[in-house]
Amino acid sequence: MRIRLVSASLALGLALGAPAAGDALKAGAVAPGFTLPAAGDGKPVALKELLAANKAVAVIFVATKCPVSNAYNGRMAAIAKEYAGKGVAVVGINSNATEPAAEVADHAKKHGLDFQILKDPGNKVADAWGATKTPEVFLLDPKGVVLYHGRIDESQDDPKDVRSPDFRNALDAILAGKPVPKAETKAFGCTIKRA
Amino acid sequence: MHDQARLKGAARLLAPAVLALSLAPAAAAEPVKLVKPEQYRSRVVAPKKGRVLLVNFWATWCDPCREEMPALVSAAKGFPSRDVAVVLVSTDTPKTASAVPRFLSQLRVPFVCWQAKSRDPQPFIDSVDRSWDGSLPYTLVYDRKGEIVAKLAGRQTEASFSEALTKALGGPR
Repeated sequence: MRIRLVSASLALGLALGAPAAGDALKAGAVAPGFTLPAAGDGKPVALKELLAANKAVAVIFVATKCPVSNAYNGRMAAIAKEYAGKGVAVVGINSNATEPAAEVADHAKKHGLDFQILKDPGNKVADAWGATKTPEVFLLDPKGVVLYHGRIDESQDDPKDVRSPDFRNALDAILAGKPVPKAETKAFGCTIKRA
Repeated sequence: MHDQARLKGAARLLAPAVLALSLAPAAAAEPVKLVKPEQYRSRVVAPKKGRVLLVNFWATWCDPCREEMPALVSAAKGFPSRDVAVVLVSTDTPKTASAVPRFLSQLRVPFVCWQAKSRDPQPFIDSVDRSWDGSLPYTLVYDRKGEIVAKLAGRQTEASFSEALTKALGGPR
């Protein structure tokens, strides 16, 4: 049985709404803060600072070897670029114990993932947030409240077939000050390879 | 007399085929059948009531799914088919679904395999288990009444599959 432990060190004043083991953060929950090293240069990146500097922060759990996560490389890069100019920061988190930082950095460079991807040693953030697979999106407001959780869209195979661009819809709703139409969505993905 | 002669003749014709089949390698998996979200309970689960049922959700692109398949095959061998049924459900999209029969054949997987048919994966995921987030591999164990009694997330071992089946059967015999 897989048991997830929530580290107290991740509370950082955002302890309210911490998920029970096995449950992902749902819309409305306050995400525990984190400070994680960037895969490329190891420099620490704090969620608190991202939240303070943006209208919204999208955290996407990603992988280098997951075919589903890779199917969305282009879409993630495009969204990150497009919404950076609108006050949204997109940051990836790689929690896979099987994918070292250097590999994550190389993969990002090779696939044009021009947004920060952080390593999550010991999958502590994945545990605290209840993230289970890749790709998996958590979209936060400046207070760290989850406004959207789930998939990028419903069409893993082909971006041209997308009819339900749920992540984009959530971003647009938030920027327009409107409720997110579908705050929770699901899709198939690769389980996070926990330590 | 005439019937006996006909029977003997038929036996002579069939004998070589029977001999060939008995010497052939183990049969490949049965052809994959489609299942829509609204059909999952009626087509996959309901027909197996009366037996403990293990349903394994997987995809050809999912490494841990492929890695655990031999363990599932081994675990299933430890239970009589009158007590335990094992069924696979592939979540491959049309892009990779054609690889399913070949994969099952190469691994000599003896279980029936369904192919999830749902343009949007969410209705399928919810039809199976609303608490499931779609991460693969995923295994459900149903009791003889068709109620879920175990949920196994992530790659399993022969031991963990066997343990779940044993518990569903009511403990060690």
